Amino acid sequence: MRIRSLAIAAALLIGTGLPTIVQAQSPKTIAGGFDVGPGGLPKNFNPLISTGGFTWLSTYYEPLLLWNAGLTELEGALAKDYKVSDDKLTYTFNLAEETWHDGKPFTSKDVKFTFELAKNKASGSLFAARLGDIASVEAPDDRTVMIKLSKPNGSFLSIISQVLILPEHALASIAPESLANSTWWSTTPVGTGPFKFNRYVTDQYVELAADDDYRGGKPKVDVLINRYFENPAAAVAALRAGEIQFTYVEPDDAASFKTDANFSVIEGDSYVVNYIGLNQKVELFKDLKVRQAIMYAIDRNAIIESLYGGAAKPANCGYVAPHLIPEGLDAYAYDPAKAKALLDEAGWANINGDKPITLLTYYGSPQAANVMAAVQSMLAQVGINVVPRVVDTPTYNGIVYKEGTPDWNEFAMVYAGLQNGPNPAGLNPGLNKSQIPPDGFNTMRIEFDGLSAAFDKALGETDASKLDAAWQDVCKAMNAELPWATLWVANRYGIASTRLKDFVWTPAPAGGPYAAHPERWDIQ
Amino acid sequence: MLNFIARRCATGLLMLVALSVLIFILLRLAPGDPIDAYINPSVPMSTSDLETLRDRLGLDQPLPLQYLAWLLAAATGDFGYSIQRSGVLVLPLVMERIGPTALLMGAGLVIAIIVGIATGIYSAVRRNAWPDIAMSVLSFVGISSPAFLTALLGLYFFSVLLRWAPSGGMQTAGAPFSAADVLAHLILPACLLSIGHAALIMRYMRASLLEVLNQDYVRTARAKGVREFWVIIKHATRNALLPVITLIGSTIGIAVGGAIFLESVFNWPGMGLLLVNAVGTRDYPVIMGATLVIGACVILVNILTDVAYAFVDPRIQVS
Repeated sequence: MRIRSLAIAAALLIGTGLPTIVQAQSPKTIAGGFDVGPGGLPKNFNPLISTGGFTWLSTYYEPLLLWNAGLTELEGALAKDYKVSDDKLTYTFNLAEETWHDGKPFTSKDVKFTFELAKNKASGSLFAARLGDIASVEAPDDRTVMIKLSKPNGSFLSIISQVLILPEHALASIAPESLANSTWWSTTPVGTGPFKFNRYVTDQYVELAADDDYRGGKPKVDVLINRYFENPAAAVAALRAGEIQFTYVEPDDAASFKTDANFSVIEGDSYVVNYIGLNQKVELFKDLKVRQAIMYAIDRNAIIESLYGGAAKPANCGYVAPHLIPEGLDAYAYDPAKAKALLDEAGWANINGDKPITLLTYYGSPQAANVMAAVQSMLAQVGINVVPRVVDTPTYNGIVYKEGTPDWNEFAMVYAGLQNGPNPAGLNPGLNKSQIPPDGFNTMRIEFDGLSAAFDKALGETDASKLDAAWQDVCKAMNAELPWATLWVANRYGIASTRLKDFVWTPAPAGGPYAAHPERWDIQ
Repeated sequence: MLNFIARRCATGLLMLVALSVLIFILLRLAPGDPIDAYINPSVPMSTSDLETLRDRLGLDQPLPLQYLAWLLAAATGDFGYSIQRSGVLVLPLVMERIGPTALLMGAGLVIAIIVGIATGIYSAVRRNAWPDIAMSVLSFVGISSPAFLTALLGLYFFSVLLRWAPSGGMQTAGAPFSAADVLAHLILPACLLSIGHAALIMRYMRASLLEVLNQDYVRTARAKGVREFWVIIKHATRNALLPVITLIGSTIGIAVGGAIFLESVFNWPGMGLLLVNAVGTRDYPVIMGATLVIGACVILVNILTDVAYAFVDPRIQVS
């Protein structure tokens, strides 16, 4: 009898208790995997050392300016508006009225403090170099900030959209050297965003609570939760189980949600151009004919149709945005016969023949594996024998950034991607000859004078009316000189429950930040 | 005895130092460092940015100096800060993971022992009847199923399709802590962890009991008129359990491996998840700290086992 009683009690617990426990979230709550995917940076709380994760960070911190949700132009956040002097050296920001989450007033002194901290290498800030053109930051009154540059910088506003403003009253007492290891970031941070930090359950999730005094209006939900997942597949399981309402997904998963009425698929430009990098320290790729042959040998449209379901734009230079594409680009339409002819002209049989060439990548998704296999097969048809090698990101970076004399053949070819927007200057570190390691990010060691000159000209252009033309020249040089075999710019996907209302997400590089207006997000 | 314990402790300490040197060297030989893990290859960074990171982490120092600095600090209990987590000390981070892993492993093993022994007994008693055949087939499936398969299938059926259990984590995000909530999150990964072990224990239990049931003393018990239930439970099972207990002891090590995988699939915040994360991000201090704590636990258990043997079996001389 006793055993039977215990069994009944256990059955009741399992049958009635557990589902109640699982669904117990009484305040109006939105939970999501906001740091899942390439734009996320889970478990990082310090915006000064962030290389991603800005979608989440900007729910409780704010920059002066941020991109609109379409990533087409910058708009005001903590700065209501701004003026640029005629010589493009002085930026004057008119600040919004706001209070920090701990009730202290937000003033221009906080902005000055933040920029000086972000410029200070001792704080570990990754903005130190990018803000190097700042000559001074002045705060003439509580609501005005003037930033003076030592020389015009066309990317300045785009750069500062990632500088999230920090509270001087909370951080000034911490030495810059100690800031990176301070527990403040993950325990008691205060920002000015629509949500305020509540708690971080180590490696599990971060919980924010609505800031009822937010200047944009009281948030419509009480709690915002960012759950951490080891991989997108685990986040998809939680989404399907109804435990979260949003996550980034891989393209293959996105397709499975398109027919499900409970979810809406959010699709957007990745702003990352994928390419086959051709290491210029390897003799094989010094001849333009070989680089052209690789372009003609790869049927990009077929790959886009079959592996991306058409959701990618072929790239004939580093850009695909219409305003950056000049007339008369060579489309390098698939033509294996022409590829073979070009290889013959270059004497490929003598310089390499069918010797294997490593095609290195850090992309580990099934889709990337299929892309690598397709590229391998297409190149094999014209006589180029590539051997794909997939490694994790640290290993990839360890190989391509290796100091001294790396083994060039270890990354003779790479399948990689680089941010090409919304600021087109994003490609400069990967292609300009001035950026060859150890001075920069040009890991393929590309030293093309025409291309570098085009980049330098575009970067120095301060006349907005001439800027697009300058970047078109960069595109033209890329198309002609082929520093990379450019492939495409693919779309990326997020899945949101249809229970969410006025939810805004876009697959911005590094997660933005962009005007997502989390205070307007609602759930039914 | 005291001499023996002292000697074993000293040897254990030396082994820990040797382990730390080995891990330190292996980590540095592996391609990529914490900075490489921090770089998003799609987002341009300048070398100056990278230098800032390297300076902050002390990775620009010569390797012997880095190791000595780490060893001296570790000797005082300071294992440093996690590289990938702002302001998080390694030792508390590692120590707080022991409990969840022990909970998951313990629950999985308890379920495996109960289910394995019960089904093993039933199978042996009903030898060659259809329940025995069915359970034998199921046990072979259980033994043959790799942890990654059972974990993913279990996640899909019980969390996604049936929604009987949460899909991951140790507690409901946003909900206050409660033991019932932890139990709800524990039950699915623990059951999945137990499958392979339960199947193995079942096979051993069945074989062992069948052997014992043919022994003379069992026949004698029956001849004396003891009820069949008590013959099985009191006379046969107690003796048949001895090899099963040895098996259970030896499967604990295997359970650690399974728990590490399940922790990743279910985002269970234990040592396994911590180590997988740390290796993926080349978080050297966390890898060193976690491996040393695991090593220290293993060495401690071995010392305790040796001492226990010496107490239990007088034939073993500790000298």
